[in-house]
Amino acid sequence: MITLTINDREVSVYGTATILEAAASVGIKIPTLCYFKGLDSFGGCRMCLVEIERVPRLQTACTVRVTEGMVVRTESEAITAARRAMLEFLLINHPLDCPVCDKAGECDLQDLVAIYGAHEGRFLEGKRTHPENFNDPFIVRNMDRCILCTRCTRMCDGPQGAYAIAVTGRGSHSFIEPFSGGRYNCEYCGNCLTVCPVGAIMSRLHRHSYRPWYVEREVETVCGFCGVGCTMVLQMRGGSIIRTMPYVGEGAVTGSYGSAGSAAPAQGLNKGLLCVRGRFGYDYLENNERLETPLIRKKGILEPVTWDEALSYVASGLKDVKAVHGAKSIGAIASGRCTNEDNYMLQKLMRFVIGTNNIDSSARFYYSPAQSYLERIFGHGVTANLIPGIANADGVLVAGGDPTAINPILGLQVRALWRKRGKIIVVGTPSGLRRFVNYEIKPHPYLEEAVLGAIVTRLAAKKGFRGENDNIEKYIKATAMPGEQLLKKANVSKEIVDQAAEDLAMMKSAVVIIGPELMERPGASKNLFLVSAIAYLTDARIFLLSERPNYQGVIDMGCAPDILPGGRPIEADVLQHKIKDADVADHKIPEHKIKDTAWTKAPVRKGLNLFAMIEAALEGNLKALYVMGENPVFNFPDRRKIENALSKVDFLIVHDIFMTETARRADVVLPAAAWTEKDGTFTNLERRLQRVRSGIPTMPGRGSVSYHRGGGADKRPEWKTLAGIGRLMGMKENYLTSSDVWEEVSRVSTLHAGLSYDRIAGGNTIWPYGSEPFRGVEGEFEVEAPGMPPAMDDGKIYLLQERQLYHSGSITRKSKALMSISCEAHVLLNAGFAERCGLKDGDKVIVTTETGSLTLPVKTDREIPENVAYVPNNFDNVSPLGIIGYTVDGYLGSISLSGNVVTITKADGPSDAAAGEGYGDKKE
Amino acid sequence: MEKILLKNIDNPDSAGIEEYIRAGGYKTLEMAVTQMTPRDIIDEVKNSGLRGRGGAGFPTGMKWQIASMDPKFPKYLICNADEGEPGTFKDRPILEKNPHLLIEGMVISAYALQSTRGYIYLRGEYPLAAGILSRAISAAYGKGYLGNDILSRRFRFDLYLHRGAGAYICGEETALIESLEGKRGQPRVKPPFPVNAGVWNKPTIINNVETFANIPYITEVGGKTYSKIGSKDSPGPKLFSVSGKVVKPGVYELPMGITLREIIYGHCGGLMEGRTLKGVIPGGVSTPILTPEKIDCQMDFVHLSKVGSLFGSGAVIVFDDTVCLVKVYERIMQFFEHESCGKCVPCREGTGWMRNILGRIGSGGGTDEDLDTLEDVAKNVAGKTFCPLGDGAANVTLAFLKQYRDEIEYHVKNGKCPVDGLPHKDNRESHGGQSAPVEQT
Amino acid sequence: MTREEMESKDNETLKDKITGMKRTYPSIQSVLMPALYAVEQSYGWLSQDAIQEVSNHTGVPAAEIKGVATFYSMYRHEPMGRHLVQLCTNVSCLIAGVEDLVKFLDKKYGLLPGGTTKDGRLSLCLMECIGACGNPPAMLVDGDAYDNLTCEAIEQILEKYE
Ligand SMILES: Cc1cc2nc3c(=O)[nH]c(=O)nc-3n(C[C@H](O)[C@H](O)[C@H](O)COP(=O)(O)O)c2cc1C
Ligand code: SF4
Ligand code: FES
Repeated sequence: MITLTINDREVSVYGTATILEAAASVGIKIPTLCYFKGLDSFGGCRMCLVEIERVPRLQTACTVRVTEGMVVRTESEAITAARRAMLEFLLINHPLDCPVCDKAGECDLQDLVAIYGAHEGRFLEGKRTHPENFNDPFIVRNMDRCILCTRCTRMCDGPQGAYAIAVTGRGSHSFIEPFSGGRYNCEYCGNCLTVCPVGAIMSRLHRHSYRPWYVEREVETVCGFCGVGCTMVLQMRGGSIIRTMPYVGEGAVTGSYGSAGSAAPAQGLNKGLLCVRGRFGYDYLENNERLETPLIRKKGILEPVTWDEALSYVASGLKDVKAVHGAKSIGAIASGRCTNEDNYMLQKLMRFVIGTNNIDSSARFYYSPAQSYLERIFGHGVTANLIPGIANADGVLVAGGDPTAINPILGLQVRALWRKRGKIIVVGTPSGLRRFVNYEIKPHPYLEEAVLGAIVTRLAAKKGFRGENDNIEKYIKATAMPGEQLLKKANVSKEIVDQAAEDLAMMKSAVVIIGPELMERPGASKNLFLVSAIAYLTDARIFLLSERPNYQGVIDMGCAPDILPGGRPIEADVLQHKIKDADVADHKIPEHKIKDTAWTKAPVRKGLNLFAMIEAALEGNLKALYVMGENPVFNFPDRRKIENALSKVDFLIVHDIFMTETARRADVVLPAAAWTEKDGTFTNLERRLQRVRSGIPTMPGRGSVSYHRGGGADKRPEWKTLAGIGRLMGMKENYLTSSDVWEEVSRVSTLHAGLSYDRIAGGNTIWPYGSEPFRGVEGEFEVEAPGMPPAMDDGKIYLLQERQLYHSGSITRKSKALMSISCEAHVLLNAGFAERCGLKDGDKVIVTTETGSLTLPVKTDREIPENVAYVPNNFDNVSPLGIIGYTVDGYLGSISLSGNVVTITKADGPSDAAAGEGYGDKKE
Repeated sequence: MEKILLKNIDNPDSAGIEEYIRAGGYKTLEMAVTQMTPRDIIDEVKNSGLRGRGGAGFPTGMKWQIASMDPKFPKYLICNADEGEPGTFKDRPILEKNPHLLIEGMVISAYALQSTRGYIYLRGEYPLAAGILSRAISAAYGKGYLGNDILSRRFRFDLYLHRGAGAYICGEETALIESLEGKRGQPRVKPPFPVNAGVWNKPTIINNVETFANIPYITEVGGKTYSKIGSKDSPGPKLFSVSGKVVKPGVYELPMGITLREIIYGHCGGLMEGRTLKGVIPGGVSTPILTPEKIDCQMDFVHLSKVGSLFGSGAVIVFDDTVCLVKVYERIMQFFEHESCGKCVPCREGTGWMRNILGRIGSGGGTDEDLDTLEDVAKNVAGKTFCPLGDGAANVTLAFLKQYRDEIEYHVKNGKCPVDGLPHKDNRESHGGQSAPVEQT
Repeated sequence: MTREEMESKDNETLKDKITGMKRTYPSIQSVLMPALYAVEQSYGWLSQDAIQEVSNHTGVPAAEIKGVATFYSMYRHEPMGRHLVQLCTNVSCLIAGVEDLVKFLDKKYGLLPGGTTKDGRLSLCLMECIGACGNPPAMLVDGDAYDNLTCEAIEQILEKYE
């Protein structure tokens, strides 16, 4: 610690602190413009000039580090004069167009001029001008206003790592520009907007519709696009979102943060960063195709009805099916996009009101099987590791997908680690990490196993066994070293594998990131076992990428056929742990509220999982299906099969925010509330519990009301609708708010015992949430016999799903903003392969499987393997998943894509991809 | 005085390695690596009192000592051949006519500093020197003065040429480092200083061409003997590049501490017939101008700052009564605006503002407030910029305002130039050429 | 050779050149300045494509390369004439009468600062000091240095540059 004096006050700080930080630590504010917490210091704006005793010149507080006994003054006449002078310099070429500048009111320059006073204009020359640039769909660049603080470029080249913009030109002629000069063609994280202190880089989405003082409500919530769970702030006006911003600290969220010497650290696990979806994607919520009233199919046509009518229709429908076919003929699909409260309630309705364990979700594709497999190897909560910790590791192995596309903010941590000279090893071709890898091992898809196996055997040889986990060691010993022949077939050199293994062996704190692609193929369990073995041998922290904001919550809420809320087996007493009287008193819970649930046992019969429900439907054994926040027709493989299955369900209830492909086939469609419109909680992939808060003021008794669109459309959260159905079917509890539901969860689930909304509010409720960690290994796991990996037929091309940064499932096709940067599907092919086929970027091709075909423009990429064709599954009319089949992995129970060998031929006609702006879905 | 730095340059083959060796070149290197330890050489340089010839005059021995104490390796040796200061062309004869003296100096320095890799950062405007230097480097490799096993002493030093591309600021050492790293040449925050964390974050010793050219001689005769040349606290021979209105402009090798008068009238043949001296810039355009009364000042780091100017690079520019100093001043400010890297606010905006005011005054649109504004702007720039470039611009302004106020006021009052009776051409709009990037939309 | 083949050959050589430069520096980004000179030579100027190509060969992001390229005033950011006249206009050349030479170039060739003659033969760039203050005014034509210029001398010199 170093002690210095600032403005006659003694201050003690670490020796690495700058004067600015030291001053901030005792609440002394030094004005700044180019400084931004978390970015490299720059020292260009000269606003932070201070006096240091015995140093002749004024010094910049943001760059000078403290030394013992230093005596600093942050205010004096000379300093004020200097700061005033700097502001005058900044204003001589500034357009002074605050009335038409969206930044006015939260502009650092404006604020500082207000403090230090404006000069009378004595600059008589013509101002330097740049035309305002509108060539980008999202971002307006006004370089007249730019003060060249370079916060944006330091953000772009630093934490974000997109390297999209740079200062162009020199001296007073310099300005900030993306490479094209017009469009940014970047990752569109918009983090440059967060850091721009003036109105030089602004969002187009709310252009001229926004003034900071228009904001009526600011709500801190959690982003609803992926499993990272970034903290964000919704700025609301008239019930509609003006903009979303990262939550950057305590106190006011308006104004650019991190500046003005604020000591407040960037908050949330995302540390003040957002990705394109969180920042720009929210407009899908206000798409005027949102469902507004319940619909019931009458004479084949879906007709609007009142809520009361809809609820009783659903309740009596379900009752009828149960009466005739039994509870086992009813099933439900829960949703990784819905809150824990919603999912809990769906589970409760199924298990305790209707009496079936038939509940599952699309987490079944890979997330929940992988999770439970990993838990069987390592114990519960093995993936509960903190995302910000990745950057502190000394190396990362990424396998099975692009973290920067699936979970962008997690991906940024990998980049951050790379910048800190950590070793990044990837198996596959995650394009977002291309600049940030030490080893990019690119096996032919389906032969990852060869590479992973080779790494495991080398690691085992190098590191030996610690004897901590006999089970896994037994299997590792049984792992055969893949022959060079196999590595060759996988198109991977022995040297790179050797080196990667060498580096992994050296790591003291390693991280293994597992993505979905590793599991979507034959041999999934072998792949997963092998990465687990690598994690075991290197004692790594494991992260499982999660495509939905609440996959973990879906599992934790018991939305699976074999577990209860909190992860206990269905045989257990629902309320196994005893409620202490004190607890009851504390939380003031009327005991009757949970009475029904608390002392009941779940149905004994194990339920059907997602795949089994589909089969059951096909066989005519599933008579009613409740689909909440999911779109199986579009998002599941084998569209024909799914459609067929759904057509055999007598009573299909779809609860969604849009009229999806699935909803169009429903008997009842119930409108849902989106994540910005309801209260509740999400559990992210770290298993951090976070509060989701509604941006819309709640009207007691009516749920949340949005008066933005549809004149008072009732945005009723799903749990409320479900509870309404439940009550009509005999459930006794009455829940007024989501916290009532949550209180019940915290009673029923041992895992969540004693957690109140208040405790969750800070976002620091992390596994194991204060209850006992039960990390012991339970049960056995099996590993598919080692041996030749599944056949990968030479020369064949496999259709795989491309996971896009700009889209998240199919909801984002309703976002005009996201559609404006990524508006059509394409087929991504290896550039060399494409060249040999005489194909260029933009050429139209027909991609044909056994069961269907798509016509798409070609996009090429030098890095991806030759035998894959990647197609995103986010666009209208283009569901690559729809034209391929699937099987279920025998060991994991995850989905395994099949029938995805494709032929690619040149097309003449129009492509399916040109489906306009994503408004193809017309209500029937 | 015996020529040390420009020895033999009148010989047409002086740039060739054969000729250099014939005249006794590379002997000192051989002597150094066989008979001296690195420490010895650093001590001699310290004893010599040599001060950097790039402009700042930092004691070279001290710089070397700090660098040699840093435990990090590799250490990089960089020759600053960016010579961008207008009026300065003193390094050019070494680069073009005596390149092996520089190379020998660098190899000895590398030996002393245990550096294995060096770069010569040559300004882009010297294409001729680029060719000569790269041939000289190859020749030195050929003779075993560079490479893996120099003079069979298992001592290794590789030397590369890096060409700049037109940016004065890259003469500033940290900007030079950024530029060498392939970045925009903007200065870095100091500390850390290059000697501890320079290029590629490794200890880096940067010296001017002329500084390196002094090393063989110091090594040969010893620091003590060397320090007898020139003045007491700025010893050694110095290259003065003299331009402007003298009869014989050119580069002169003269001892430090010689007076301006001796340079102008003694060596350069004085002014043209019938002309009177109006002012002298003593060390390149970023050093404040001196009025004729000051020409008896000794030319060294100490004395020039006493008379309100700076020694700079030893680039003397002489003005007689045919020159309009307002025009010169405006041109200097235009240079500063053009060369300001843009990193810090006062320099970026202040230089442009001052240049604009001067352009307006020169072309006849000056107002009464302009002089006050100029002074105020200069004061607001001075001492507040990130690097010395901005200070230079401010100090130059203050000197012109103080010493040639009458002439500036004449332009304001009369809207024309006292020298030729016409207003200056107004070139405020464009710098006229060096391609300022055009924004694309 | 078809145009495409020729282009790919050009690329090959640029790629080779850059590969060679990489040996000179411990970090890949350092090759930018020499690589920009090289690519400028093959394209004539630093077009978007040229910069993109340097980016492809070095892995340095294109935006950053553009930032670097535009920082230095000697790179050419627009197509240029066949020969480039770089005329020094700094103090020593100024007081030696360079303004008259600028006027002369305009009158004689229609060559304006920053411009190119109609026939595409000459481009003019006004320079900061080129280190020839001893014999002003001075200029570089395609890298060849000339000093002690007068209007007549310029006319003679430029005749050599077809
Ligand atoms: C704006 C600016 C420009 C400079 N230009 C040069 C230059 O062109 N050549 C040079 O040798 N030093 C130049 N310097 C000085 C260098 O920063 C540095 O002091 C010098 O290279 C150190 O070498 P020396 O100690 O041998 O002089 C410049 C400094 C500044 C602030
Ligand atoms: S004073 Fe500032 S703007 Fe000027 S050159 Fe130095 S750092 Fe760049
Ligand atoms: S110079 Fe310190 S904040 Fe800008």
